[in-house]
Amino acid sequence: MRVLLYSVLIAGLVVLHTTLLPHLSVWDIKPDVGLVAVCFVGLLAGELEGLLVGLFLGWAMSLFSAGDLAASMTVKGGAGFLAGLAGRQMAQVTPILLVSGLLVASIGGGLVTMWAAKLSEQQNIWWVLQTIIVPQACLDAVIGGIGYWLLWSRFHLDRLATEQEL
Amino acid sequence: MRMANFRSSYGARRLALGVFLLVLLGFFLLPHQLQTMFQGLGGPVGWVLSWPVRMVASIEDGIGEVWYRYLALQGVEDENRRLKKEIEQLQGQNSQLREAASATERLTALLEFKAQALPTMVAAQVIGRNTDNWYRTIILNKGTSDGIRPDMGVVTSAGVVGRIVKATLATSVVLLVSDPNNAIAGLIQRTRDEGIVEGTTEGLARLKYIPLLSNVRSGDHVVTSGLVGGFPRGLAIGTITKIDKEEGALFQSAEVRPEVDVTRVEEVLVIQSSYGANEESQGEGLPSVKTKP
Repeated sequence: MRVLLYSVLIAGLVVLHTTLLPHLSVWDIKPDVGLVAVCFVGLLAGELEGLLVGLFLGWAMSLFSAGDLAASMTVKGGAGFLAGLAGRQMAQVTPILLVSGLLVASIGGGLVTMWAAKLSEQQNIWWVLQTIIVPQACLDAVIGGIGYWLLWSRFHLDRLATEQEL
Repeated sequence: MRMANFRSSYGARRLALGVFLLVLLGFFLLPHQLQTMFQGLGGPVGWVLSWPVRMVASIEDGIGEVWYRYLALQGVEDENRRLKKEIEQLQGQNSQLREAASATERLTALLEFKAQALPTMVAAQVIGRNTDNWYRTIILNKGTSDGIRPDMGVVTSAGVVGRIVKATLATSVVLLVSDPNNAIAGLIQRTRDEGIVEGTTEGLARLKYIPLLSNVRSGDHVVTSGLVGGFPRGLAIGTITKIDKEEGALFQSAEVRPEVDVTRVEEVLVIQSSYGANEESQGEGLPSVKTKP
């Protein structure tokens, strides 16, 4: 059941990134919804699932992008794994913690991608930081905040978790 | 808020760490082999994933069509009048060009040049756009099963769009001419000076390595030189808008406005073989275009 759920999630995220997000970009910058989703999977389901979903999502998304496959898989997989580790250390997730965690994860992922991408001489590190990495990280954090609000207040995840424990 | 607590066990954590380290190690030690393997395995996965992408793209097209047909009709009359005027001008130009073409044909026959084969092309539809912020790309609904391979050139009737960089069974990714990581061998049509056309971070293009003695000027047209694979000679790339001549530099460069508005392109042609590579299309008057339902 979970495999099916994750497959649908990966397919949905690929469709979202290829067809819908280009229309919803802010100043030509799109959020990495895949990274946010992988972090949520890691937080909620643990390191292993976060890692595996991240690896598969990174792979699937790289098939539709000009980007480096290794960087895409490593960044998404690593984000899922680290989110799982972070989730294990926390008893509570506050919105500020989640948003700042996503900001850091997105900036880290952006730096790894930049290192792996071998960009042209026009795209120096400051230009990339100013125009891609930081704006995208801010958008990712906002999307994460919205996701948090939806998952925890609308779908009552706390109650669901307590019921599972019982 | 309390953390949801249905996470994996200690064993799963160790397994995850092991898998992650293995993947990292794999990509460090065998980067090329692993990339090739995953790209190969990605063929069928890309085919499966292409169906929801195509479905959403067609819904999106439908919505766009309704919008442009019924809701965004402001200024259509003015545009229609302008286009009619443009057609008249183009008809005049067309007859002149026909004359020039027939003259060229006669001269070619006189000089006993061997007739060049025109390129074979595959028509494809754009089903998606850049999935990330790093590259300017479009996604096509044709892949390796239609004979598309990396490094093939992509054009429209207006000119060069970009180059294929990745292909799965049913889709392919095109790196646009306006991307800074793309480079195409170009030629200034008037002066015959050659250079390299690169995309810029502003979404335009730049012709580099123009000889210092070249008398290039704004308004000159840049076409493909055909020296590097992917594009035959003479396809429109763009128009020069600004010349940059730095003191002490060995070359000059020029800003080029691409002929094709790559942000709005919907249908393209993928060049499968350049001049002379296809015997079937020899002697035909137009490029052969293979379409697939």
